Parts: sequence; structure tokens; C-alpha cells
Amino acid sequence: MDYLLSILIIAGIYIILTMSLNLIVGYTGLLSLGHVAFFSVGAYTSSLLALNYGLSPWIGLIVGACFAALLGVVVSFPALRVKGDYLAIATFGFAMIAYSISNNWVSVTRGPLGLPGIPTFSIFDFYLSETWSYLLLVIFFVFLTYFIIRRIVNSPFGRILNGIREDEIATLAMGKDVNRQKILVFVISAFFAGIAGSLYAHYITFIDPSSFTVMESIIILLMVVFGGMGSLSGSFVGASTLVIFPEVLSFLNVPTPIAAPLRQMIYGLLLVILMLKRPQGILGKYKFR
Amino acid sequence: MIEQFLTNGIIAGSVYALIALGFTIIYRTVKFFHFAHGVVYTAGAYLAYTFCILLGVNLIISLLFAAILAGIIGIAIDKLVYFPLRTQKAPNLVFLVASFGVFIFIQNLIQLIYGAQVLTVNTSPATEGYNIFGAFITGVQILILAVCCLLLIILWLFFQKTKAGKAMRAVADDPTAASIVGIYPEKIIFLSFAIGSALAGAAGILISLETNIVPTMGLDAVLKGIIASIIGGIGSVPGAMLGGFLLGIVENLGIMIIPAGWKDTITFAILIIFLLFRPSGILGKKVDEERL
Repeated sequence: MDYLLSILIIAGIYIILTMSLNLIVGYTGLLSLGHVAFFSVGAYTSSLLALNYGLSPWIGLIVGACFAALLGVVVSFPALRVKGDYLAIATFGFAMIAYSISNNWVSVTRGPLGLPGIPTFSIFDFYLSETWSYLLLVIFFVFLTYFIIRRIVNSPFGRILNGIREDEIATLAMGKDVNRQKILVFVISAFFAGIAGSLYAHYITFIDPSSFTVMESIIILLMVVFGGMGSLSGSFVGASTLVIFPEVLSFLNVPTPIAAPLRQMIYGLLLVILMLKRPQGILGKYKFR
Repeated sequence: MIEQFLTNGIIAGSVYALIALGFTIIYRTVKFFHFAHGVVYTAGAYLAYTFCILLGVNLIISLLFAAILAGIIGIAIDKLVYFPLRTQKAPNLVFLVASFGVFIFIQNLIQLIYGAQVLTVNTSPATEGYNIFGAFITGVQILILAVCCLLLIILWLFFQKTKAGKAMRAVADDPTAASIVGIYPEKIIFLSFAIGSALAGAAGILISLETNIVPTMGLDAVLKGIIASIIGGIGSVPGAMLGGFLLGIVENLGIMIIPAGWKDTITFAILIIFLLFRPSGILGKKVDEERL
């Protein structure tokens, strides 16, 4: 039972990541592969504050999300200058730099050794150490993210984002400050990815750079594309399917040295088939332009 | 000391140049980022391992076979994935995302077959070497440098002198005009994938002689190749060579000042600086505003 619940927790964390990336990729039409950098910054900030300064994970969550949002400003700069595949490679570069820093800044992050013993969340004196209680916390944040992002995409700001995706020059001609909106969308998206990072760190209680490789960015992108570009319910479907489905492999008693690459191969194949047959995803409305 | 770092930089750079060149040759004709290029490089290294160690074939013959098979893998990727996308007139990003899928798929297929552990192809001891201009250089490194230079010269002649090479340049410059004068674009794309992938394979093979091989080696390689191409000027053949050597040298001189672990940080910082301030690269001729 605990195993099942823990899968749901991971699925919830990925739903937050997928929804926030969908804001950039699906709604605004900018292909960003730097998402794992925000995830990592959220996780590391929150863990370090708890471990080194004994601060409550709640403070870590907020500060981590804010740090991720700050990084979002930096990552958005290439989006103002280049687009399309160049932007994808530039944001990929940020993900690589974030990984490299977490791996090499040993005095702070302990490098490849990772950070063990990260404390869990508590509400007053009640520690969320039980799996079901942590699941409730994650569900709370999933719905919080869902409602905020849904509010954003249905607002005038969301329509500008759609405008950027459909025709950037026309949006510019309408007198909209396209650059400002691009920075803003990266900041918002990064903020939620930072929250997901904090939730992840305090649940697993151990983080090391190997959880935040650039491949993770591609997996999150796959979840966005699979569920549907520009569809929040699609993000629910995409993230939960792709987290839960590979667990079938462990039920079939496939040994790990085979199951791990097999799972990735399914992801890769899925990505190719989606691009060939349905590039907008299952529930998606928009295609890549 | 500086001579040693410079030499290491030139050797690393020559491999980057090969990857970047293969990437550029493909990019010029199809105009999208063939990310799975990196996994062809990995496949090249593992094919060399298969022939050389598992089957015990003669080194030179196995290297040749590995390069040819790498070319065939490239063609297969194009036919199975990119060709259907081309007929659908898919946008660039769809190609890129599909390419990620191919990358993940083949990388993990290799891991499934050979396992995730480190393998070695190298048969000669690394302690034997020569002293040139105050820098220590091994026999394998000389071989890498020589093969790279040879391949670069052959390709240069191919593009300048042969009909097929000129046709490839014509398609790169203007595919529509090229098809009007009777150059069949699919044939040129086929040729680009064959040559470009064989180059990636060759780079993988050469690296397998120098260092250990792991299934995940392709990611780093393709990123270095793309960065070298962007620094040199994307779509420019001399630019890719220049970018490759420059990247190798800067990386290796960089670790004289800061610890080696930070190498990747320097590389990607260079990439982002270039994309922000000079996206057309050093030798990039026309800034194709549409593409950027």
C-alpha cells in the first residue's frame, strides 16, 4: 500500500512539473529544456536551509521557489534573443550548468555524495512522515498549482502568451511587451518547478545531482507532449501515466539492469511515435510551430 | 605546462571538430538539429568494441566496419523517423523532439545490450609516448590527430572538387533552386546522413581507443558538437572545424585556472554568451533572422 501511495506522490510532483513546463512549452510555444534546473534549485535550496540552518521546510519551500524564480529570469534571457531549436539548446545549456554546479560545488552541495537526512514537513507538531499524509500535502500543492495556472492561462496575460505562440510579431504590433511576458512566464513556471523540487527533496529525504540530470528535462517534456500541449488536464494524464505505467515493469519482476533501460527505451519510442502520429499529444490543442 | 594543455586541447578539439562537422553536414541539408547524432557516436564506439574485442577482428578492419555501420545507422534514423516527418512537412521543433526520442531509445538499447558499466577498447599501454615541444603525447593520440586531419582534408576536397559535394553545397544554399536544376533533394539528404553519421561514428571509434566507453557518452559529445558548430557559425563547414578546435583548446586551457570538474560550466557559459551576443557564430555569413 505504501508503495502505491509513494508512486502517487512522485506522480503528483511530476504533475506540478509538467503543468509548469506546459505553461512555457504548450501555452507560450517556447521549447525550454531547462526545467530540471528549477527543480534542482528548489530541492537544493530547501534542503540546505533545513539541514544547515534548521529552518522549517515550509520556509525552504517558499525560499526555494523564489530562488528558482530568480533563475527563471536568467534562463529567460536567451528566449528574448533566439527561438526554436536555438532556444532549446540554450536552455539545455542552463540545465547542464545547474547539474555541473550541483556536482562540483562540493563545499555546499557535497557534490556526488548528495545530501542525506533531509527532514520532512510538519504542521505544528504533526510530522508528515506517514506516506498518506505526505500524499495529502502533495495533492494540496497539485491543486493549488492547477488552479493558479488555470487562472493564469484564462487571464488576459494568458491570451498574450497564446499570442506569442501563434504570431509573435502580431502580438508585438498590438502593443504588447512580448519580452516582459516571456520573462514573466519563465518566472512563474520556475516558481512552481521550485515547489516541486522542495516537495521531492523533503519526501525522498536524500538528493544528489543524479536526480537532476538533463535527461530529466526531456522526460518532463515528454510528459507535456504526451498529455497534450496547452492542456492542463493533459498534464495530469501525461505525468501520471508516464510515472505509473513503467512501475508495471517492477510488478513483472523484471530485474533492474534490464528494467531501467527498458523504461527509458519506452519513453524514447513514445516520443518518436507521438511526433510521427500526434505531435500535439493526447488531449493537446496546439502543435509545435 | 601550457604546451601540455594546448596539446590536450588540440586532440580533444580534433574529435569535437569531427562531431561538429558531421552535425553541420546534416544540418546544412535538413536545417534541423539532429540531436541523435550523439548516439551514432556512441554506437560507433560500441561497434568498434564489438568487432575489436568481442569478435577479435583486426583493429583497422573493425574500425572501418564500425564507421560504415555508423553511417548505416544514421541513414536508418533518417528513413524511419525523419523521412515520414518530412513528408508531413513537420516544423523544426517536432524534428528536434523526435530526435531526442531516438537518442534516448538507442542509448538505452546500447545499455541493455552491453550493460551500464565502463568498457575499454584500448589495447596499447598509455604510458608509452613521445615528447613533442615539451608536451607528452601517446601513439593513440597521434593516430587520432592524424585520422582527424586526414578526414577533414578528404571532406574539404569532396565538397570543393566532386560533383556530389557541389550538389550538397547547392542544396545547403538553396534547396528549391537546387531541385530546379535537377538535384534530387532526397538523394542529397541520404548522402548527408551517410557521411555525417560515419564521421560521428569515426569520432566515437577514435575516442574509444583513447578512453573508456559508457552508454551515456553520446550526450556530452553531441552537445560539444552543437556548441562547436554554433561557435564556428552554424551551417559553415570551416566554422565547424574552427569551432571544434577552439572549444577543445579553450576547455583545456580553462582547467589550468579552475578545477577540471568545472569544464562543462565553461563550455555552456560560452554557448550561452554566443547565443546571446553573436548567434551567427564566428564564421557564420548571413544571419538568417527567420531561423533565429
